[in-house]
Amino acid sequence: MKYLLALLALFAFVACSDDDPRGVDLSRPVRFDPAAPPAQKLSEHNLFAWDPTTGTFTYNDRVVPYELNTELFTDYAWKARAIYVPEGESGAFHPKDAFDFPVGTLILKNFYYPDDFRDPTTYRLVETRLLVHTPNGWQGRPYIWDEDGKDAEYAPAGEVRPISFVYVDGKTKTSTYLVPQQNQCQQCHLLKDPETGKNYQTPIGPKARHLNRDYDFGGEIGVRNQLEVLAEVGFLTGVPSDLSEVEKAFDFREIAEHGHAHLDDEALNKAARDYLDINCAHCHNPNGVQGITSNLFLNYDNTSAFNLGICKPPGSAGQGAGGRKYDIVPGYPDLSILNYRIESTDPAAMMPLIARSLEHEEATALIRSWVESLPIAEDCAPKE
Amino acid sequence: MSRFLIAGVSALALLAVGCGDDDGGSARNRCSDFSTANCVTIASGDVQALINAVNTLQDDTTILLEAGTYALDRTVTIRNSGINLVGQGIDETILDFETSPGGGNGVDVIGDSFLVQDLTVANAKKDGIRVEDSDGVIFRRIKATWTRGPHTSNGAYGIYPVKSRNVLVEDSVAENASDAGLYVGQCINVIVRRNEVRQNVAGLEIENTQYADVYENHAENNTAGIVVFDLPGNPVVGRDVRIRDNQIIDNNHTNFAPGGTVAMIPPGTGTFALASRRVEIFNNVYRNNYTASIAILNGLVVDPRDSWALETSAIIGDIDDLDLPTGDEGIVYNYESTEIYIHDNDIENDGTAEINPQEFGLLMGVLYGGEPEVDHVIYDGVGETVDAETPANTSNVNHICVDQASMVVLGLGLEGGELTFPESLGDVARFSAPDLAPFDCSSFTGGPLVVPSDLP
Repeated sequence: MKYLLALLALFAFVACSDDDPRGVDLSRPVRFDPAAPPAQKLSEHNLFAWDPTTGTFTYNDRVVPYELNTELFTDYAWKARAIYVPEGESGAFHPKDAFDFPVGTLILKNFYYPDDFRDPTTYRLVETRLLVHTPNGWQGRPYIWDEDGKDAEYAPAGEVRPISFVYVDGKTKTSTYLVPQQNQCQQCHLLKDPETGKNYQTPIGPKARHLNRDYDFGGEIGVRNQLEVLAEVGFLTGVPSDLSEVEKAFDFREIAEHGHAHLDDEALNKAARDYLDINCAHCHNPNGVQGITSNLFLNYDNTSAFNLGICKPPGSAGQGAGGRKYDIVPGYPDLSILNYRIESTDPAAMMPLIARSLEHEEATALIRSWVESLPIAEDCAPKE
Repeated sequence: MSRFLIAGVSALALLAVGCGDDDGGSARNRCSDFSTANCVTIASGDVQALINAVNTLQDDTTILLEAGTYALDRTVTIRNSGINLVGQGIDETILDFETSPGGGNGVDVIGDSFLVQDLTVANAKKDGIRVEDSDGVIFRRIKATWTRGPHTSNGAYGIYPVKSRNVLVEDSVAENASDAGLYVGQCINVIVRRNEVRQNVAGLEIENTQYADVYENHAENNTAGIVVFDLPGNPVVGRDVRIRDNQIIDNNHTNFAPGGTVAMIPPGTGTFALASRRVEIFNNVYRNNYTASIAILNGLVVDPRDSWALETSAIIGDIDDLDLPTGDEGIVYNYESTEIYIHDNDIENDGTAEINPQEFGLLMGVLYGGEPEVDHVIYDGVGETVDAETPANTSNVNHICVDQASMVVLGLGLEGGELTFPESLGDVARFSAPDLAPFDCSSFTGGPLVVPSDLP
């Protein structure tokens, strides 16, 4: 029987190879050989189907969707994430670090836009980024979707293209959208092992504090905590039975919907630190290959005020300093380089360095309020 | 007939090659000139092929760019080892980022054994060529430029190896950078030779770098010529830097930096050693650098003491023999400039210090306004007891050695960790050869400098 299945799968593979587009068939399993070179068409992996009229994704068996409490901003693109772990394998839970998923794991992230954020009638799927665990470590692979949304093509060179959409305020925004080239995956996903000095790629999102939230899985599962579900389907071992022991990052949806004015100081601090963590700390942490130079460490668990940027002169910010002297001047967002750089859309000054061309207005307002709320520091406060 | 024609064309081609050799510009590199396992040739101007190639590389590959302009809308990223990025010569193969909408560097590399050679990188939004965290890096006959000339909105660094080991930069040009043209940052084992840096804010910078030989470079018309310094907080403590046989001419350009430490540099600066130790500056030619030919400065001139604290556990490279000031358990500071030896430089300075808004430049203006020539070596004197009456009684705790025609010690002081400026010219000690005691020493306390003579 097993032999027959394997044969069928092989036959399907060969028979379809001339079809263009090949299409996805969710009655068949995922196809992913971690040792093989990148698939030229995303459909070769048979991961999901999607409907451009409803913007819904239907995932294959063993492809489990998830979302994050606070996510990386990418010009307001909507994202749909999912993970595939091969049969008989599982990842290991870690309270802080990215979960250790086995070779053969595939993480996917779809980037798509509704035509109108207020009342979408159609959706455009722009790109799908795969992060795959090969025998040589994790690797990023960009796929760009055809105009007709039927399939996506392997695009190691990435792409820059304008994308317009109507935002929640009814205004049209136009992103100079960057599909990162393959090497640029490492701009965020590369860390240095402090023990060996070697660089390695790693997932960012699949960490306990980002995944610790409810998600509507639909069907028989319904609304459940994501960590529980990943444990139940066997993708994760070692998940604590009492999830109240597990850290939980701030849920940014609350700010996206209601703003941040209602937050007390503690919640404001948490929201700001968690936003900086997921948007900045992949580089700005003590082991971030391209962020070490700055000495600005925005990981949520950094406890050094200096490395957080308080009264810290920039290392070599150049244009990015905007004429300001310190990364953060507590109480004064208009004197703080951090605020300048996340608000700027000047390519020479803005942060993050790539994959943003618009200001994340809800977040920059949050970070302004946070800097305003910080106790005045004599070392760098303006003398009046 | 066709054979005849072919022969004729061949003859013409030969002639053309001959002319090419004569004008000396083009390199005519071929795959066979490089010993890598793989070689990819990119047709003139084929940007898509170039970006595809760099993202699907195998280690040990030469990327050969034909002559022409490549109008790039994206960073050229390289993340493999053993890569050669080779064009057909400066101004022959041009990677132009003028229309790049995204931010970022021109060429951005992380990968050991990297060579970039015979090309120009123009108009990058941030850095021209940045090579980071790599071992074995060669920049050879390249140019990094911003073609509109000096401008505040130009990118920061032209040629920028950072956090790398075994770095060679030679026969290259860096111009019009809004920070540093040629910037070696946090590197270990470095040779920088026969380069030309012009119209940058800082021409050539050696920052937080250990074991560097900087020679036969030409720095002209920058705000500052060739400088060596540590910045606060970086885990490589600079040491053993030799600056010799360079031409440092007319570095009086307006400071057009958009901000940062570099914006504090007064125009007219030849060389300074700031927050540096074990630096030898000799056999250089200095001409008409109006504020100062050579200055020795304490790091507290630019940043407060707390920012210079380093955790010894985080430090990369050797510091055991450096005798750095210590703080709380496990903390050292690298703001001091100590063990600096300056000798046999050929210094002429027809200008006088110009009054300019930067604090240090202002001081120089007050000191020397109206005088025909600034002293050849200017030492801020932080940490020293300055005796203006009897200069020979001035202390030399920082072990500064000078053999030049004249020198001044400014008598800047420290009070509670804060820098104080001299209240009057009475706090300034001036020296003229041959009476340079106590600065007439001629060796380093910890033995001769260690700099690489060659790189692997």
